Amino acid sequence: MRWIVLRRVAINCVLAALALHGAARTRPHYGGTLRVEIEGDQWQRQGGLARRLVLDGLTVIDSDGSAHPALAVEWKSENQDHRWQFTLRRGVHLQNSEMLTAAMVVTSLQRSCQADCPWTAVRVVGTSIVFTGDSPVPNLPELLANDDYLIGFDADDGSRILGTGPFQQTGEAANNDVQRFIANENCWQGRPFLDEIDIHFHRSIRDQWLDLSLGRADLVEVPAEQLRQAHEQRLTVAVSGPVSLLALAVADGGVLSDANLRSAIALAVDRNSLSNVIFQKQGEITASLLPSELTGYGFLFPADRDINKARELRGGLTPPVLTISTDSSAQMQLAAQRIALNLREAGFNVQVAAPGTVHRTDMVLLRLTLASNEPRAALESLLRGVGVEAPVVDDSSAGLYKVEREFLQTHTLVPLLYLPRAYAVGGRVRDFSLSADGTPLLAGVSLQDVP
Amino acid sequence: MKLAWLVLTVANCLMLAELAGRDGSAAPAPGKWQEPAAALADEVAAILGPGQVRLTIRNASSIPTEEIPKIRLLLEEDLKAHGVLTSGAESANAIRVTLSENTRERLWVAEVIEGNQRQVAMVQVEPETARQVPAGTGLTLRKQAVLTARDPVLAALETADGLVVVEPEEIVIYGHAAEGWKEQKRVAIGQRKPLTRDPRGVIVPLHDGQEFEAFVAGMVCEGSYERGPMAGDWTVHCREGDDPWQLSVPPLPRGPATNQSESIEVTPLKAFYNSTRDYFTGVLAPSLGADLPQFYAAAIVPRPAGSGSLAALLVNGIDGKVQLTEAGVLEPVSGARDWGSDYAVLNTGCGIGAQVVASGSGEAAADSLRAYELPAQEAIPASAPLAMDGTVMALWTAPDGKSVFTVVRRPVSLAAADKYEVDRVTSSCN
Repeated sequence: MRWIVLRRVAINCVLAALALHGAARTRPHYGGTLRVEIEGDQWQRQGGLARRLVLDGLTVIDSDGSAHPALAVEWKSENQDHRWQFTLRRGVHLQNSEMLTAAMVVTSLQRSCQADCPWTAVRVVGTSIVFTGDSPVPNLPELLANDDYLIGFDADDGSRILGTGPFQQTGEAANNDVQRFIANENCWQGRPFLDEIDIHFHRSIRDQWLDLSLGRADLVEVPAEQLRQAHEQRLTVAVSGPVSLLALAVADGGVLSDANLRSAIALAVDRNSLSNVIFQKQGEITASLLPSELTGYGFLFPADRDINKARELRGGLTPPVLTISTDSSAQMQLAAQRIALNLREAGFNVQVAAPGTVHRTDMVLLRLTLASNEPRAALESLLRGVGVEAPVVDDSSAGLYKVEREFLQTHTLVPLLYLPRAYAVGGRVRDFSLSADGTPLLAGVSLQDVP
Repeated sequence: MKLAWLVLTVANCLMLAELAGRDGSAAPAPGKWQEPAAALADEVAAILGPGQVRLTIRNASSIPTEEIPKIRLLLEEDLKAHGVLTSGAESANAIRVTLSENTRERLWVAEVIEGNQRQVAMVQVEPETARQVPAGTGLTLRKQAVLTARDPVLAALETADGLVVVEPEEIVIYGHAAEGWKEQKRVAIGQRKPLTRDPRGVIVPLHDGQEFEAFVAGMVCEGSYERGPMAGDWTVHCREGDDPWQLSVPPLPRGPATNQSESIEVTPLKAFYNSTRDYFTGVLAPSLGADLPQFYAAAIVPRPAGSGSLAALLVNGIDGKVQLTEAGVLEPVSGARDWGSDYAVLNTGCGIGAQVVASGSGEAAADSLRAYELPAQEAIPASAPLAMDGTVMALWTAPDGKSVFTVVRRPVSLAAADKYEVDRVTSSCN
C-alpha cells in the first residue's frame, strides 16, 4: 500500500508539453482556419512546423519523456538491443487514401538517414519493421520519434509530401509565401478540430507581431531574446522548457588539433555576456550537454570564464586566423561576434565568416534541438547531431555524466546556453500546447469563435 | 477472538493515523534518508578509503532546510562505519555533497577531492509527494479518488461485482482487491473508423447492475455478469451502431430536503450523438417537442414546487448557451456563463434536493467543480468551487444519484505514469 505516491519532481514545466489554456473545460469546437506566421522554413528538418502537421513517426515522445506508440503499436528488443521489432498499426492510410504498409515505412526510413542511420539494416517481416544493428541501440524507440525519422513520401506528381498526419498539404499556394494545410478527415488519430492551417513563412518577427496585434495572425514566433518584450506588450505567450542548445563546435583538425587550444577556446568564452547581452537573460547558462533540470548534475561542469587559464593554455602561441561561422539570423550573428571578441581577448585571432561565404570554418556556432525529455535518448540525439554515433547504454545519472564528461573533455563542442522556444497566440486560439522539443502541437488546437 | 479483533483495529488505526500525518509539507520520516545516505557513503568510501576528510553539504533541491542536519548526521555515521572520519580537521581530502534534483527524482552528488584529483559519486533518490485535501464552505463538495489510469477514461460504472471502465478503444473490467481496484479483463471495442480527438462515452447499468450498456462514437457494447461457483465473470460484446445514447437519469427527489421519501419517475431519455465530432445532434428519443440545438451535455433537473412541472431538461449548446427545456419551450439560463461543457445532477438532499454540478470554463491550469441551484431561470452557486487538480474531461451522475463521477486529466508537469484520475464527488449540507 502506498499512500504517498512517488512523484517525479516538477521543478518547472521543463520539457513537458505546455498547456497554455485549461484544456477541455469547454469542449473544443470544430472548424475554422488558423493563421500561423514563421520566420524560417516550414519544412526544415528539425522542428519544421509542416513536418509535424503532415507526418507521423513510428513512436512519439510523451510529456513523461518516454516513447509511446504512434504508427507502431508495440515493439520489442532482442539480442541485447541489437535487434528491434516494431509492429505497424493496422488500418492507417496515407493522405491519398493508400494503405500504409511496412514496406513503405522501410522505404521512408532508409531514405531518411541513408548511411548515417542508428541501425545497420532495416527490413520488413510480415507487418513488422525489424531493425538490426552492429552496436546495441537501446534508445531506438525514442530516436524514432525524432523529426529525422518521420514517415513520408513525395506524391506521384511531386506536388506535395504525403504522410499520415492530422493535416495534409493542398499542393496549392495562395502565393509564394503561404502554404495551406487542410484537415485529414481520415487521420488515424482522429480528425483535427481545425479545418485549415495557413502557414505564412519567411515572415520577419516584427511583421508577425504586427499581424498578431491586428488580428491577421493567430500564432507567431517569439525569439527567446524578445520574451521580455512580448510580456511587456502583454502578448499571450507559451514558453517551452530549455530545448535549444546554443553550442560552439570546434574543429579538431588543422591548427586546432592541439587539445590545449580547444580547451583554451572553451575557457575563453563568456557565457554570461552572451546570456545577458545577446539573449536578454532568457538563456540558461550551461557547460553540460543536457540541461541541469533534466540531470541534476549540471553544476559538475563549471561554466565560468577563466581568461587567465585560457591564455596559459594557449601558451604564447599565436595561431593563424581562425574563422567562426553561423546561420544568417541576426541574433546568431551577434552571438558569433561576441564569441569572437571573447577569443580575441584570450589572444586568438578570430574572424566571423559572412553567412554562406566559407564552406569550412574552424568553429561553428550551432543551435541543437533537445529532441526528447528522456535524458538518455536526448543525450544520444544531441551527440548524433554533432556526428558522434556511439549509443548511450547506461541511463543512470552516473552513466550519463560519464558519457558527457568524456565527450566534453575533447573540447570539440562547447555548450553555452539553453534557450526556450516560445510562441504568442491570439485570443481565439484554444488548447495550444508545445511538444517536448517546443514544437507547436496544432492537431489539438481549436478556435473559440467557431462555429 | 475479541482481543485479536481489538488489537487489529488499534493497529489499523495507528497505521491510518501515521499515514494521515504524512503530506508533502510535513517533514518526511527520518528513515526516508537512511537508504540514500548509506548508498552515497558506500560509493564515497569506495573512492576514498579510510581516513580523515572535510565534509560540506549544499542543498540545491526542494528538501526542507531543517532536514539537512539529519542528512548530514546520517552521512557522517555511514562514512564512519567505513572508516571515513569527518572530523572537521584540516585535511587535503574533501567531500562536497550537493543535494540536487531533476525532473524525475532527487540526485545526491558527492565530489570527492583528493589533492588535485576530483571523482564523482551519485545516488538517485525518489521524492515523496503530497495528498491534497480539498476544502469548501456552504454546501460542501468532497472528492475521493476511485481509480488512476494511464489511458483516457471516458466513463465508468461501479457495480456490486466490479468497476467497468470505458476507454476510447477498450472496456476494462476491474475487480475488488485488497489495495483497491485491480484490472481483470480488457475487451477491445473494435472500432473500424478513426477515433475523434475529443472522444466521449457513456455507460448505464441495466437490471440492477448485472448488465450494462456502453456507448462510444459509432459503437455500442453490452455486458452481463454471470456468477460462477467460485467467482463471476463479465461477458462483453460490442457492435457497430449509431443508437441514441441514454442520458444519465438518476432518481430525482421531489421537493425540498425535508421530504426525500418520494422521487420523480422519469422516462429514460436518449440522444443521438455525432460520431465524427464531440457533441449530440440535438435529436432526442422520445422527442420533448422543442427544437434543441446541438449540445455537449444534457441533464434532467427537478423543478421547485409551483414551477408548473416536475422536471426539465438542461442543455448546454455547442455555442456555449445553457438553456432549460420545460413544456416544449427553450429558455436561456443566466448565471451559467462560467460553466464548462460538462455538468451532472447531484441529489444532495440539500435545498430543493438536487443541484447541478458543473465544471469551470476559465483558463487557469486547474479545473474546479461547483454546485448550482436552479430555482428559476438562473443558476445560483450553492457551494464553493472544489479544486480538481487537473482538467475535468467528463462528468456524470452515479446510478443512485447521490454522487457524481468525474474524470480528471492530471497536469503534465506531474509527469506521473497515470495521467487520468476517476473521482467520486459527494456532498454534505451545512
